[in-house]
Amino acid sequence: MRVEFTVNGSAESVEVEPRVTLADALREELGLTGTHLGCEHGVCGACTVLVDEQPVRSCLMLAVQARNASLQTIEGLERENGSLHPLQQAFSDCHGLQCGFCTPGMVMTAVHLLATNPDPTRDEIRAEMSANICRCTGYNSIVDSVEQAATARGALARDD
Amino acid sequence: MTIGQTVTRKEDHRLLTGRGRFVSDLQLSPMRHVAFTRSIVAHAHLATVDTSEALALPGVRAVFTGADIPLALRAQSALPGYVETDQPALAVGKVRFVGEALAAVIADNRYLAEDGAELVDVDYSPLQPLVDATGVVIDPVHDDAPDNILIRRIFENGDVDTALEQSAVVVRRDLTTNRHAGNPMECRATVALWEDHRNLTVWSGTQVPHLVRNMLAEQLDLPEGNIRVIAPDVGGGFGVKAVLYPEDLAICAMARTMPGTALKWVEDRVEHLHAASHARDHRYEVEAGFADDGELLALRVDATCNVGAYSVYPWTVGIEPLMAGGLFTGPYRLEHYRCLVRGVTTNTSPSGPYRGVARPATVFAMEAVLDSGARALGISGADIRRRNLIAPDDIPYRMPTRLVDDSGHYLECFEKALDLVEHNGLDYDGLRAEQQKRVAHGGNPIGIGFAVYNELTGLGRAASAGPRMPFRTGHEACTVRINPEGSVTVLSGVTSQGQGLETTLAQVVAGTIGVGFDDVQVRYGDTNESLWGFGAFSSRQAVIAGGAALQSAEAVLEKALALAAELYEANADDLTLTNGNIMVAGSPQPIGTLADVARVAYLESNRLPAGFEPGLESTRFYDPVMGAFAAGAQVVVIEIERSTGELKILDLVCVEDSGRILNPQIVEGQVAGSLAQGIGGALYEHLVYDDDGNLKTGTLLDYLMPTSAETPEFTLGHLTHHADNPLGVRGVGEGGTLGPAATLAGAVADAVGLEIDELPITPARIWDGLAQQGGAGT
Ligand code: FES
Ligand code: FES
Repeated sequence: MRVEFTVNGSAESVEVEPRVTLADALREELGLTGTHLGCEHGVCGACTVLVDEQPVRSCLMLAVQARNASLQTIEGLERENGSLHPLQQAFSDCHGLQCGFCTPGMVMTAVHLLATNPDPTRDEIRAEMSANICRCTGYNSIVDSVEQAATARGALARDD
Repeated sequence: MTIGQTVTRKEDHRLLTGRGRFVSDLQLSPMRHVAFTRSIVAHAHLATVDTSEALALPGVRAVFTGADIPLALRAQSALPGYVETDQPALAVGKVRFVGEALAAVIADNRYLAEDGAELVDVDYSPLQPLVDATGVVIDPVHDDAPDNILIRRIFENGDVDTALEQSAVVVRRDLTTNRHAGNPMECRATVALWEDHRNLTVWSGTQVPHLVRNMLAEQLDLPEGNIRVIAPDVGGGFGVKAVLYPEDLAICAMARTMPGTALKWVEDRVEHLHAASHARDHRYEVEAGFADDGELLALRVDATCNVGAYSVYPWTVGIEPLMAGGLFTGPYRLEHYRCLVRGVTTNTSPSGPYRGVARPATVFAMEAVLDSGARALGISGADIRRRNLIAPDDIPYRMPTRLVDDSGHYLECFEKALDLVEHNGLDYDGLRAEQQKRVAHGGNPIGIGFAVYNELTGLGRAASAGPRMPFRTGHEACTVRINPEGSVTVLSGVTSQGQGLETTLAQVVAGTIGVGFDDVQVRYGDTNESLWGFGAFSSRQAVIAGGAALQSAEAVLEKALALAAELYEANADDLTLTNGNIMVAGSPQPIGTLADVARVAYLESNRLPAGFEPGLESTRFYDPVMGAFAAGAQVVVIEIERSTGELKILDLVCVEDSGRILNPQIVEGQVAGSLAQGIGGALYEHLVYDDDGNLKTGTLLDYLMPTSAETPEFTLGHLTHHADNPLGVRGVGEGGTLGPAATLAGAVADAVGLEIDELPITPARIWDGLAQQGGAGT
């Protein structure tokens, strides 16, 4: 089946069988391998992408279900000038990643968190980020990362 | 100098922008995909494996069974009491655990391969399964071991019987630890491509590429130079990926039949939970004798490790039992010790290396008997540890298992951890007062638990002799090359599954040579690039590969300065390199640059002094011979919700002696990550088999790993007693996992008087215990 959607702002069209997951379509058809698969049964969150701004487990969604949607993946966060998104920067600064396998999903979950709650408490960050599993970091550095990004974005907003 | 500083990790940018290169990301053309048919029966003879329906499926290219691949892994050890057994690439004749691969389907994509794998028709004739290592053997797992015991060994020192008789008190604990696993977020993945019948490239998420090359060369009867193993970015390992698995062997063998076509296998999580190595399924019966003043006089231990269906390659089933017996006494002084360990094979997934290997279980057991001893003698848990810890004056301390402890900084770690305890403004003494207040006036009880441990890190050739395997893992090689324009390339035998070796090795080399961190590029994980490395296990890489990088950098620096001395007519001893500039003693102005010198070394041989070999490169091996013990202590403060049995961590302190710290942020990350895994093992994670050998926790919905909601904030402290190796470092990769089961169990006993004899410590277990005491729900 032919499915059209936009990914990180560009129009894409893929030919997939109905059973192909959104994650596989992104990874295999479009070569967007930044979206990772950690469990393929909807628990770990590694495959999280934004579909019309909502976080979605792309291992549980079929590509055809994303027809005409606007998708955001980790590959779309970097600025055109090559500078990192505040969340990417914060994850690097705070050592919010080790192996980096959970990281794209973590960052996309955090993008959604800060879009809906720009100034979260640490407890709120913990609650929201608990949708994603990380085996490496022990999480505190991830909470630090999201907190730092929120502060940085707050500062940016005030500067505007 | 970048050594000792936190710097932006070299790996971060690609990993944060979706440009990491994991094995599962690899797309080659032509490429076909592999799915395995796995046993759904725990123990059976394979009557027939019918592949015809699978082969008929459009898109399926080939189907292999065990009969098609006459290869088997046979983990070897010269230890008496070890029974060697085979692990076939695909099961032949018999299956021994649910999840064992028995056929492989090759198809145009993974969906079709999985469809095909389901169509393989298997006729099983069941045998009696056994999942409990202490159960009665009816049908042995391996014919060569009728009693299912694959390894048995006694560690003995002094006279335990007499010492127990003379003890003021003898306590006994029977303890069971829970089978759990490393479970890295990236499952296993392998791609194999044969250029022709004799040249193979394998991409694998392995922690040990050189060992894999060595083992594959033997299995496939090829010179090592014909095999290239590449471990690109790897999404966590924790020991699980330090094993050569039968699936890897099967993929290489199958790909050999189709040169030019790459075969790709990406494991899913259900397969991973069923068939990647497990760990920590142990039972300990411990008797400990103490003197009146709390001195530990004798320990008698009977340890049974459930090692699963096969002997993991190349580590053998000895990996857990031998570690358990060898390091049971940890950082405590003891003379009279007798420990019988046995590794029992069962119809469960094989047990293998997992961060901390056996010691999260032995520390749990050791600390449990100390707590019991303290209670029996009426002394405090803190004091009984103070009384028995190996002290700096005892160093070198010969442990009852003849390992030599070079640390002795346990008490310092422990006292510092106690000093750091804090909750709601209350320090340790304040919390003790609060605890008493709650006992008197009601409120949820709080408890404090302790663990002190030693981690044997960076094992050199002498320290790694124990398991008597056909190889000794003591050394690493590193090549440091100064390029013609003055940048530096490091080719290391390390691998990285998140530990940041690309960054720390660059720090070591940049700091040693005197160039900028950004001018150093580190390449690793490719057997065609680095000379040799055993890879990532036993907290060894910073110590050993770091040492090799340091010595190699020193050697190439010496060569560069010798050349500079000739070119600039200076005395080499007066020259140093700073930021790529060549400085001469007593002058603030550089006399030249490394780039100038390197250019001559490669491109202007006419300017080379007579006899000076062109190029600027050095390769060095480093082997610490012994190991570096790292001391650690953890203290946890918990609160128990009486009405539900729920346990809440109020504070968790971990203090470790990391030796010299190369990068503070990375060290803290290692400690934090291992603490979280320790908490997972203590409170949540449990691989549960039913009596028929079905894994009841085969998805992440049933196998619970801690998330950010369950993981508390940590209080971390460090000691930095330099170790006796060139960099002064001690390994920090595993210590954190050693404490939580012990501290949390100790804290429960401290809070409500409930001795935890079985892990994990679930709310149900606590609630049941309280109910038996008559205290639940009050
Ligand atoms: S891969 Fe989608 S939730 Fe784990
Ligand atoms: S950084 Fe490795 S799983 Fe999160």
